[in-house]
Amino acid sequence: MKFILMMNTMKAGGGVPGWPKKDLQAHIGFMIGLNKELHRRGELVSAEGLSFPDQAKLVRAGKDGQPVTDGIFPESKEFLAGFWIIDVDSPQRAYEIAATVSAAPGPGGAPLNMPIEVRPVMSGPPPDML
Amino acid sequence: MKYILLMSGTRAGVEGYHAWPKKDIDAHMAVLHRINQEIAESGEFVTTQGLNEPKEAKVVRGEKDGLPVTDGVFPESKEFLLGYWIVDVANAERAYAIAGRISAVSRNMPIEVRQFASYEAKSQ
Repeated sequence: MKFILMMNTMKAGGGVPGWPKKDLQAHIGFMIGLNKELHRRGELVSAEGLSFPDQAKLVRAGKDGQPVTDGIFPESKEFLAGFWIIDVDSPQRAYEIAATVSAAPGPGGAPLNMPIEVRPVMSGPPPDML
Repeated sequence: MKYILLMSGTRAGVEGYHAWPKKDIDAHMAVLHRINQEIAESGEFVTTQGLNEPKEAKVVRGEKDGLPVTDGVFPESKEFLLGYWIVDVANAERAYAIAGRISAVSRNMPIEVRQFASYEAKSQ
């Protein structure tokens, strides 16, 4: 069963967290260790981090089909910071991994307990939509 | 340069989509398939994925003991990721052009475009 774990923690007004360097290193080290562990267990499909919201654009097609971009967002808008796609035996295992991600260390090494959105991934469009 | 094109919507929006006439949904899917094929042929396609419906979404937090606590109650206004495309393109404008085509066929819904924060990209 494939799931996506989404870290929707960035705000439009935010930037690189102002944590001490050693806390950032511990956070990144934790994520690298987790990814290695998931890979070793055969559960990791992919994991990616995204650039900061100041580089995000919203695109709509104009009347002529040309892209119209907008990069102004309310300060409160939540942005995807990164995601994992995992292939696991049960939703419970997906929630376990999400909880591990949630408890990644923050400033001073304390667990962040950030919310992680977990969703099943469709293997294709519903058959009646094809 | 790798970009992700994110298509998001609310639960009400997803229900509205299911209420489209079948032929409109078929036409929508067919154009999305064609776009996927075109960007595969141009070597720009990395992957695409649709997600299950928002009603199956959970938000997980780690408790003090590290055990998962799940919650599935969301405000009506919450936007959920419906699906995404990852493309590897020469520049941002090309990513916007692909997003524009996806938007055009999806009743002009906005597509969020973000570059990957890969170490590889930063060192280039």
